[in-house]
Amino acid sequence: MKKELLHAGVFCLLVSGWLSSSLAFAQSDPSGKKRITDTYAITNATVFTAPGQSGVKATVLIKDGLIVGVGSNLSLPNEAKTIAGDSLFIYPGFIDAASDVGITKPKDPERPDDFVSSNPSDEIAGITPWRSAVDQFSIKDSKVDDLRKVGFTIAQIMPDGGMLAGKAAIILLGAENSTNLLKENSGLAASFSGSRGMYPGTAVGVMAKFREIYDNTELSSQRSQKYTTVSGLKRPEITPTYSAMQEVLSGQIPVLFSTSSELEIRRAISLQKEKGFKLVLTGLEDYEEVIDVIKASGASVLVKLEIPDDKAIKAQKDDATEEVKVLNARVKKAYDEAVAQASKLEAAGIPFAFTTVGVKSGDIMKALQTMIKNGLSEKSALAALTTNSASILGISKVAGSIEKGKMANLILSTDSIFAEDSQIKHIVVDGYIYDYDTKAKKKDSKDGKEDGTVKIEGNWEYTSESPAGSSGGILSIQKEGSDYTGTITYDDPSGSGKATSPIKNVVLDGSTLSFSFDVTANGMEILVEVSGEVDSDSFKGTMNVGEFGSFPFEGTLNPTLIANK
Amino acid sequence: MKRLNKIFIAFLLALLPMMAMAQIDGEVIKPRAGKFLLQNATVVTITQGVLNNTSVLVDDGKIKQIGANIATDGAEVIDCSGKFIYPGMIDGGTKLGLVEVSSVAETVDYAEIGNFSPNMQALTAVNPNSVAIPVTRVSGVTTVLTAPAGGLFPGTAALINLNGYTPDQMYAGFKGIVMNFPSSGRRGRYDRRSDEDIKKANEKAVKEANELWEKAKSYGSLVSNGAELDYYPEMEQLAKATTGELPLLIEVNAASDILAAIKWVADKGTKVIFTGVAEGWRVADEIAKAGIPVVTGPIQALPTRDSDRYDTPYANAGKMAKAGVKVAIRTDEQENVRNLPFFAAFAAAYGMGKEEAWKAVTINPAEIFGVADQYGSVETGKVANLIVADGDPFETKTNIMHVFINGYRMPLSNRQIRLYQEFLDRSPGLKMN
Amino acid sequence: MKKANYFLAALLGLSIQFASAQVKKGSILIKNATVLTITEGTLENSDVLVQDGIIKKVGQNLNAPNGVTTIDATGKFLMPGIIDAHSHLGLDVVNEATAPIVAEVRMKDVVNPYEVGIYRALAGGVTISHAMHGSANVIGGQNATLKHRWGSTDPADIIMQDAPRTIKFALGENPTRVHGRGNNIQPRTRMGVEAILRNGFNEAIQYQKAWDSYNSESSKKGNSAMPPVNNERLQILSDILNDKIIIHCHSYRADEIYMLINVARDFGITKLVFQHTNEGFKVAPEIAEYTMGASVFADWWAYKFEVYYSTAYNAAILTENGAITSINSDDAELIRHLYHEAAKTQRYGGMTDEQALAMITINPAKQLGISDKVGSIEEGKQADLVIFEGHPLSSYTVPQMTFVDGVKYFDIKEDEDDQRLKVAPTEMVDAVMIYEGHDSRCMQDTEHLFETTNSLFQLNY
Repeated sequence: MKKELLHAGVFCLLVSGWLSSSLAFAQSDPSGKKRITDTYAITNATVFTAPGQSGVKATVLIKDGLIVGVGSNLSLPNEAKTIAGDSLFIYPGFIDAASDVGITKPKDPERPDDFVSSNPSDEIAGITPWRSAVDQFSIKDSKVDDLRKVGFTIAQIMPDGGMLAGKAAIILLGAENSTNLLKENSGLAASFSGSRGMYPGTAVGVMAKFREIYDNTELSSQRSQKYTTVSGLKRPEITPTYSAMQEVLSGQIPVLFSTSSELEIRRAISLQKEKGFKLVLTGLEDYEEVIDVIKASGASVLVKLEIPDDKAIKAQKDDATEEVKVLNARVKKAYDEAVAQASKLEAAGIPFAFTTVGVKSGDIMKALQTMIKNGLSEKSALAALTTNSASILGISKVAGSIEKGKMANLILSTDSIFAEDSQIKHIVVDGYIYDYDTKAKKKDSKDGKEDGTVKIEGNWEYTSESPAGSSGGILSIQKEGSDYTGTITYDDPSGSGKATSPIKNVVLDGSTLSFSFDVTANGMEILVEVSGEVDSDSFKGTMNVGEFGSFPFEGTLNPTLIANK
Repeated sequence: MKRLNKIFIAFLLALLPMMAMAQIDGEVIKPRAGKFLLQNATVVTITQGVLNNTSVLVDDGKIKQIGANIATDGAEVIDCSGKFIYPGMIDGGTKLGLVEVSSVAETVDYAEIGNFSPNMQALTAVNPNSVAIPVTRVSGVTTVLTAPAGGLFPGTAALINLNGYTPDQMYAGFKGIVMNFPSSGRRGRYDRRSDEDIKKANEKAVKEANELWEKAKSYGSLVSNGAELDYYPEMEQLAKATTGELPLLIEVNAASDILAAIKWVADKGTKVIFTGVAEGWRVADEIAKAGIPVVTGPIQALPTRDSDRYDTPYANAGKMAKAGVKVAIRTDEQENVRNLPFFAAFAAAYGMGKEEAWKAVTINPAEIFGVADQYGSVETGKVANLIVADGDPFETKTNIMHVFINGYRMPLSNRQIRLYQEFLDRSPGLKMN
Repeated sequence: MKKANYFLAALLGLSIQFASAQVKKGSILIKNATVLTITEGTLENSDVLVQDGIIKKVGQNLNAPNGVTTIDATGKFLMPGIIDAHSHLGLDVVNEATAPIVAEVRMKDVVNPYEVGIYRALAGGVTISHAMHGSANVIGGQNATLKHRWGSTDPADIIMQDAPRTIKFALGENPTRVHGRGNNIQPRTRMGVEAILRNGFNEAIQYQKAWDSYNSESSKKGNSAMPPVNNERLQILSDILNDKIIIHCHSYRADEIYMLINVARDFGITKLVFQHTNEGFKVAPEIAEYTMGASVFADWWAYKFEVYYSTAYNAAILTENGAITSINSDDAELIRHLYHEAAKTQRYGGMTDEQALAMITINPAKQLGISDKVGSIEEGKQADLVIFEGHPLSSYTVPQMTFVDGVKYFDIKEDEDDQRLKVAPTEMVDAVMIYEGHDSRCMQDTEHLFETTNSLFQLNY
C-alpha cells in the first residue's frame, strides 16, 4: 500500500531526452540488438502533418526520439539512416485515449476471516483509487504489438478493477527497455460496476458510494488542514482512498467514467453536475440520443472503437413473414444508426477520441472504415486518433501531429491511411522504427507473368489454422469472361466429412485475391471471408470467420489436381 | 348489486353464532347430499340455450330434471327467482391440491425428480384438504385438471371435482400424460442461456423425446403381442399414450414450437391436447387445420415478445376460437384458481365473446377431456355440478349464492371468509376494555 | 464545506434537474363521458376541459377553446389515471441487497424510461407508479414516483419531480433470508429486524447531534471543531425521523406490522405506509389509528409461508376499519389491470364503486403524498385521465385512452403494436419469452446471494 500511496502523489512528465540519455550508458552490446543510430530520415514521402491537412511530399527527419525537421530541403546529418519514403504515406501516430493493452487484472485480495459483506474494506469492494495502471502493465504483452501494428503509438492505460479501479497512465507503445511512461496518474478510472455479493453491489449502490467517498474526501482534507494548524486535536484518520481522491477533488485529474449506454452517460453526467469533478466519458457504444446532453455537460468523450456485431442483421432472411420483416427493418435501422453515431458527434461539434478497451486490435481498421462509410469525415476520424486524444490527455505539446519538436511517433503506410487496401509498413514510436510485413500489391512480372497479372484459375489445395486445429480442402476457381466463380470444400462443421459451398465476390486486384463463402453450422449461416496475396502458385492470406476471428489461410495451386480435372 | 352484496355479508354474519352453536352440537359445516329443487331460475345451460323461469331438480348427485313446473316431491326447495344457474366451471389446467405454500418445498408436490416420469400420478398426491380448495370453489369453479410439471414427461394429470375426501371421490374421469414439448423459447426473465445453448438444448430434447416415444411404442406393441417385459413403469405409462389409451397433454407455447409439435404429432396417431399455447394466435389456422384442441392460459399474462401488442395474451383465446380451434381456458394457478371466471371475462372482452368464453370454461374442457356426457352443461342426466348466482359469475360484483358438486350442496365458507368474519370488527378493537 | 452547504448543493442539484425536465403538457376537451371523479361523485354526460396539463373545468356543455382537441366520450367512462403504489417498472436496478440498511441509495439514479412495461401499464390506465427499491433490506433505498410519460428517453422526464420523498422498508422473510440466512449477519429473525431499525434510528440521532454541535461550534471564531464523517445513510434516517420522507414498508405478518407501528411511535415518526400487508386485517384498527394505511394485493396469498394466513377480504376489512387502503401490483403483469384488481374488493367484502375506485386513485395518491395534485378529477389537478369502454370495475371493461398531463400516451385505436422505444442493433427478432406466472421484482438483483435462484424467483414478493 505504501508504494501505491507514493504513486498517488507523483505527477511527472518524463521527456524522451531523459530516456535516450539513460540508454546511452550501454556502450557495448554483445547481443547485437542495439541500434546503430537514433537518427532517421524518411525521404520524399507523402506527409499528413495533422488532421485536415492534405498530403505534401516531404522528408521527415527524426533524432533522439524527436521530429527535428519536416520539409523538402532538409540537410540530412551524416548519421541519418535513410528510409526511402517515395511510395509511403506518413501520419502522426495514433493515440489510444483509453486502453486495456498490456493490462493484467491484479489478484483479488483475500477476504479476511471476519469479512462482513455489508461493510467490506475498500480494497475488497473494488474501491482502489490509489492503484496505478502502471503496476498492472507489461510492455511485453503481445497485445501491445497488435495495437501498435494498427497505428497506435501512445495509449492511456486503464487499471482493471471495480468501481474506482485506480489511476490511469499514459504510456508509449515503445521499446521494451524503457518504462515508456509519459504521465502517471492521468485520471481516475471509474465505473458503475458493483462488487459481487458485497456493498456496493449494483449501479445504484455504486452511485451512492461514489457520493459518500467524494463528500468524505472533502471533509477529510478539511480535518487534515485543521490538524496541521491547530494543536490539541484528535488525530484524523488518513485513508488511502481519500488521499488518492484528492486529485479528483482538486481538479488535477479527471474521472474517466466507463459509460457504454446512454443511461450510464446520463448517470455519470448527473454525478458530475452534483459534485463538479472533471469528467471524461469513456467506452461509449450507444449515445446518439444523448449527444446534446454530453455537449451541454462539457465532458470529454471517448467512443469505443468498435462497431456492433452484424450477426443479427446478416441472419435476416428475405423470405420472412411480414411481421418479422417489419421487426427486421427496425433492427437494421438500429444497426445503421449505430454505425453512423460517430458522425453525429462530429456534426454536433464534439471533439471526441477513441478508446480500445474491450476492442480486438484486428477489428479496428474495419470499424474506422465503417464509421467513415457512414458519414464520419476522415479528418474527424484522424483527429479522434491523434489531436483530439492528445488534447484530452493533455499531451498536445508533445504528441498528436507531425511537427518539429514533437515526439517521433509516426505511421508509415502504403496508401492513405483509411483506404481499404492501405497497409502499415512501419510504425515509429519514440524514434524507434517497427517494421511490418506488407503484402505486395500489383507486383508485376516478378514471376515472369508478362501481362503483369496473376493467374488464379485452377484447383488450389489449401489449409487453414483455427483454434479448433488445422483443416483444409480444395478451392476451385474458374474464369468466366472477366469474372471468377468456383467452389470450396471444407470440413463439415455439423458432422464428419466435407461440405462444399460456392464462392462469391471473387475479386482479383493486382495480386490480391479475395472471396467469400457461406458455411452452415448448427443451422446458422456464417460468412467466411478470405483475402490474401497470390505469389505465382502460392496463396497466403487470412480467413475471417464472423465473430470467431481471423485465421491464417494458405493455398497452393496444384498442377496434379488440375491434371486430374 | 352493491346492496345485494352487503345483504349477503350480513346474512353470513348473522349465521355466525348459529354456526358456532352448530359446532357445539358436534355438527360441522360440511357438504350436504340430498334432493334439491332449485326453483324459478334463469338457467344458462351452455348447450341448450338460456331457459327463463326454469327449475332444476338435483337428486342422487345428478341433474334429474329441468323444467318449468317440477313437483317438490320431498326435495329441499331453494328459491332461485331472480337468480341464475350455470354449470360449474372447469379449469383446464392447474396445480390445485399439489402445493400448499409455494416457497415451502415440503408442501410442493407437483415436480418429481427426473426428466422421464410419466408414471407420477397427480391424482394420488392431491391433498383433498388443501386450504385452497374451498377458497376456489366459492367462485363457482367445481372441477379442475391438476397436473404435474417439470421435465419432459413429468407425470399424469387428473381431472378432479372440488368435493370429496379421497382421490377416488374427487376423480372426475379423465387422465392425461403431460409432455413439455421441447421449447426453443426462453423460460422467464432469469433464463440467461445464449441463443446457441437454447437451440442445442432444444435439439437434444427433441431427440430424447423421439427416442423415448419410439421405445414406448415398441414396449406397447411387444406387450400387446403377449411379451412379458421387465418392470419398467415409465415405459408402461407412456405406452398408454402411444396406443391411444391415454391422451397426451402437450405443453407448448412459442409459435415455432407449436408448428414443430403439430408436425411431431402428425404421424403419431395418438390423442393430443395442446396446453399453454401462448403464441397460438400466431399460428391459429395451422392448429385448427391439425384439429388439435387447446387448453390455453393464463389469460392475464405478459406478451411473449417485447415487440408484441400489449393485449395479445388477452386476445389469444378468442383468436384461436375464431380460427376454428376448440379452446378451453386454464388459470395455470394453484392458490388462485378462483380467478378462472375473470380470465374468461378478459378473453370475452378482447374478442372471444361471452358465449364462447363460457364454453371455454364449461363444455369445451369437458369435451376435450372426454367427459362431456357428465360435465360441462346443465342437462338432464349430467353430474350435478351447478352454481347459483345473483348475476353474471364473471363479474366481480356478482355473488355466488350456492355451489353444488356431485349433487352435494357445498358450504360457502373457507378460511379466508372465516378470517373476514373474525376480523371485520375485531374484538377487542383498538383498546382493550 | 459545512453541513448546511451540502443541503444547499443537494437543493441546487434538484433545481437543475427540475429545469432540465421539460415535460409535455396537453390541452383537450373530453365530452359527454360518465365522469367518475372519485372525490366528488359520478357525473353523467359531463365534460372535462384540460389546459396545459391541468384540469380547468368539469361540467356540462363546455366548449373547446381554440386549438384544443375535442374527444367524444359518449357512452364511455372517464376516471382519473390509476396510481400504483408498488411497482418496480422502469428501474435498471431494484435491490442493493448487500446491507441491512441502504437508505442512501436512490432509485432515481437508475430510472430507465425505455422499459416497454411502462407503455403496457398505460394501456391498463396506469399513469403513475411508485418505482420502489426491493425488499431485501430492512431499510432499503429511496423510491422514485414515476409519471408514465412514455416516449421520453430522459429519466428526469418520467420522474414526478413534485412528488415527496419516499423510502422502502422491509420486514419478515425477505430481509432475514438475505442477510441472516444468506450472509450470516443480522437480522436472521424478526427480533433482529426490530433491532436493526432501532439501532439505525438511534445512530441517526447521534449522527445528527454530532453535526449539529459541529455546525454551531464551527461558526464560532477560533474554534477547533473537526467535521464529523459524512454518512448519507444516517442522514436519510435522520430525515425520516423528521418526517421528511414517507416510509413504505414491505410487510406481511400482523406482529411485524404492529412492531413497526410501535417503533415509529417511539421515534415520533408519523409518515408510514405498509406495503403488501397481507395480515394487515388483523391489526386494522392500529393501522387506521397510527399510519397512512396499507397498500395491498387484491388476492395474492400462499406463495410463501408468511402469506398463508391471508384473506382476499383484507382490503375491505382495512377500509371498513378506517385505514387508507390501496391496491397495488408489484408486478409488470398485474399493473396492466389494476382496475380489475380493485374490482375484486367488491366480491371480497362488498366495497362500493367509490371505495373500490379510490383504492387505485386517491388512496394511493394520499399514500404517496401527491393527493393534492392527482388521484381524482377535480379542477386544478393534473390531467391524468383514462377513458374506459364499460365501467372500469366490470370484468369486461377495456381501457381506450390514457392521458398524462393532458397528453395522450395510449390510444387503443391508433397505437402501433410494437411500442419499443429502442431496438438493439444486434437483436434476433424471434426471441420468445414464455410467461411463467407472476414475476415480482421485489428481490431482483439478489440472485448472487442464493444457490437455488429458481426457488427464490418464484416466490419473492
